Amino acid sequence: MEYNLEVINLEKKYYDFNLDKINIKIPKGKIIGLIGENGSGKTTTIKAILNLIYYDNGNVKIFGKNSKELTKKDREKIGVVLDDSFFANVLNVNDINKLMKNFYSNWNEELYYKMIKEFKIPCNKALKEFSSGMKMKIKVLCAIAHEPKLLILDEPTNGLDPIFRYEIVELFNNFVNNGENSILMTTHITSDLEHLADEVIFIDNGNIILDILKKKLDEEYGIVEILEENFKKIKKEDYLKSLKYKNEYFILVNSKKEFQKKYQELEVRIPTLEEVMLLLVKGE
Amino acid sequence: MNTIKGLLLKDLDVFKNFKGNIIFSILMFLFLIIVGSIQNDIFTVGSILFLIFFGMNSISTFSYDENADSDKYLLSLPITRKEIVLSKYLFVFLNSFISIIVGIFVSYIITVLIRGKVNNIGDSLRICFLAFTSVSFLMCSNVPCIYKWGVEKGRMQSVIIPALFIFVIGILGCLLLIIFPELYLNIDLIYLFKISPIICLILNILFYLVSYLISYKIFLNKSI
Repeated sequence: MEYNLEVINLEKKYYDFNLDKINIKIPKGKIIGLIGENGSGKTTTIKAILNLIYYDNGNVKIFGKNSKELTKKDREKIGVVLDDSFFANVLNVNDINKLMKNFYSNWNEELYYKMIKEFKIPCNKALKEFSSGMKMKIKVLCAIAHEPKLLILDEPTNGLDPIFRYEIVELFNNFVNNGENSILMTTHITSDLEHLADEVIFIDNGNIILDILKKKLDEEYGIVEILEENFKKIKKEDYLKSLKYKNEYFILVNSKKEFQKKYQELEVRIPTLEEVMLLLVKGE
Repeated sequence: MNTIKGLLLKDLDVFKNFKGNIIFSILMFLFLIIVGSIQNDIFTVGSILFLIFFGMNSISTFSYDENADSDKYLLSLPITRKEIVLSKYLFVFLNSFISIIVGIFVSYIITVLIRGKVNNIGDSLRICFLAFTSVSFLMCSNVPCIYKWGVEKGRMQSVIIPALFIFVIGILGCLLLIIFPELYLNIDLIYLFKISPIICLILNILFYLVSYLISYKIFLNKSI
């Protein structure tokens, strides 16, 4: 299998936080979601991939090359959205186009303005006059207007309204349709990844706690909602994690079929990514 | 080369935002120099005023970059750390250089129109070069501080470090004169003033080169 991005045993130590042996592989044509609560290490991983921070151990390969040895041409094949960083907020859409033309030899001005028009973004307004959602739209357009092969997106749906979130999910789906392009996307809004991600990686406190194909997660994992008195009847070895919420217990099982065989009276349903994250992080 | 051009355009675009301030400053400058020229030949003062009004504005582009955390975004594009630092120094230099040239040109025209001629133009230009070198010194000591501590946190250091540098040079000069008093008699100040443009040129190259290397080293080792 060919990978557009490989993160191998990545380690970064801070005085109060460690990124511990992070492994991520993104095959061509796939969307990988990196999920975790705030401060779990998602952005640090992205920064390490982009060489914005120096990591202590491990290796990052992009298009099969060490990320530190990428040429400008290689880097032109990457599109990036960073949640907290962009151009100065006094610039407008036209200014940004002018700059990007100088930064990317493959900048597609026509595509950029086509999308600007599609998303109804005013051209002469300064960024500071836009809402955070509108600014995010521009960031996303900047990441794809040079037709990259790999998108690295840090919280790209932050601040977006449901309609644009729908549009953006469509945009990302189309992006990987050619079987060559890939996306790594971090988010704490897990609903965005429900119908988008081929694989999800759950990260907590700098560690990967689950790396699984979305299809497998839907097929094998399950959620059971039961009352406290029924919960006591279930053996600990039959489930992965449990969490008490109000008078109910939520149980995460990693083998839906086996659980169902043992406890036929209980209903097991497909978990949402949010439930999986919550139970993996906060469950016992 | 295109990348550097893009980075310079980015800072220029930020400058566009001060359009109102720039027009107001130009009007103020013109008013001062026209009124001043009626009484005295203020060609030198006018040129230096223009340099101070506009030549040091380039630091504000660092503030805009810092507020938007732009360096992080720029480094995620096909742009190297070296290009970011180099473009900043080019912008700082070009801004000061264009300011002094425009200042000299405008002051010259106004002085000639009002007073007929500029007295001692050679000496006046030498003083302008000295002023330009002083501004270069200030800017070149400020930029590494900004790369090290940021615009806000590095504000204090940006004042202290050049002041400390001048203080140390002053003390060393005094010590030298105390140890070798005959040196004072042998220094030909008029000759030094005459060759000051060459000294200024060497100092400017030195300031920019040393400052650029320090800033680049700081930025290279920085986690963004």
